[in-house]
Amino acid sequence: MHPAFVAAADPAELQALLSRTALGDRAAFRRLYELTAPSLLGVALRILNRRDRAEDVLQEVYVNVWNRAGSYTAAASQPMTWLTAIVRNRALDRLRSEVRHEAVSLDDDDAGSTYDVEDERPDPSRLLEQAGDALRIRGCLDAIEGVQRQCLALAYYHGLSHSEVAAHLERPIGSVKVWLRRGLEKLKRCLDASPR
Amino acid sequence: MNYDRPELLDRLAAEYALGTLSRQARRRFERLRSTLPAADRAAQDWEARVAPLSVPVPPANPSPELWSAIDKRTGGAPRSPSTTGASRGWLTWLTPALGVAFGALATIGIVRMYPDRLLALDALVQERGELPQSYVGLLTDRDGAPVVLASSTRHGRTLSIKLLKPIVVPSGKVAQLWALPAGGGPFPVGVVPASGKATITLPDTSEKLFSNVPRLAVSFEDRPASRGATPSEFVLSGHCVKLW
Repeated sequence: MHPAFVAAADPAELQALLSRTALGDRAAFRRLYELTAPSLLGVALRILNRRDRAEDVLQEVYVNVWNRAGSYTAAASQPMTWLTAIVRNRALDRLRSEVRHEAVSLDDDDAGSTYDVEDERPDPSRLLEQAGDALRIRGCLDAIEGVQRQCLALAYYHGLSHSEVAAHLERPIGSVKVWLRRGLEKLKRCLDASPR
Repeated sequence: MNYDRPELLDRLAAEYALGTLSRQARRRFERLRSTLPAADRAAQDWEARVAPLSVPVPPANPSPELWSAIDKRTGGAPRSPSTTGASRGWLTWLTPALGVAFGALATIGIVRMYPDRLLALDALVQERGELPQSYVGLLTDRDGAPVVLASSTRHGRTLSIKLLKPIVVPSGKVAQLWALPAGGGPFPVGVVPASGKATITLPDTSEKLFSNVPRLAVSFEDRPASRGATPSEFVLSGHCVKLW
């Protein structure tokens, strides 16, 4: 296992903490934060590539969790899955709101935006390989065509849109869309077959 | 675009969860998600599917200022569970109006599959002219007073919970909801809040889970119960019925 992996927090403990947070238990809320914030900050940081923005996103997420824990608590059968989705969506919204090029375009096919930010994040394709190892679907993922896999990794870990993936790879957006569509179908089969 | 096609919803949900949609397309899908339960289900399925891909992402230690900011924004001010946020504001005054419109069944919350999305369901019910096929449970205390209303559409994967009166949950305990199937042992459904409303995500459709469940009950437990656990003494119980 990759040394950067963190021990996953116990889902039952997180669920109990969420339940208690719903009842206004501040100590439980603090503990929930301590157990989940580092992983979630990592997720937001991959997408936003800036710590201040990633922390802004986390701040909004945890304030929301506190305010609405009553409606979230019981729903959180897999608390980390649920929290990760919230953080990813908030981070993606934030990322998109900062890309002015897209803001003026109503056309999803517009390839006008560029991706030229200096980037020191880990290689997303490598992260996808590590996920394949952790989820024991490495063989299945490796069977996905290389360029499709690269598109999936850039989209998931760096939050690149269709047009940004196309710009990043310097390939036509039409091709990228096809690769992503086919890649997603294969990814679905791999993830659904994961023994985890 | 014809959103009745499940494969189209699945593809849009996949692209949404993966993160490839543009700002405008994300907004369009989020609007769709808030009005079309099938779109929301597809999105939840994909979010759950891709979340484990985040496992190898290196964690990052938050700055001390982050917790301070969260603590400041959540501390001090008293709150009432499940009633915060702008969307709840209009819901508060809209609920009685819809109650009148839909009659007693709606008043007790059967149409509250998605508490935030009442308008969408309102439109659906108006269009179909009837309430959706649902499972409904009404749990009472020992004095027979109604306390918890649970409802879920027949093929839905969420259970809406509404507290008709607050539960006094002992410190350090949670209020655990159980399903009591005919001829079988109880299985845990989820945790209900002490007051307000909640949405419980179900591991399967209501049809699969509740078709053989004539009764529901609530007990106080140290932590949310896992499958196979034995419940403590029930403090609330009631019938679970099919609304069709």
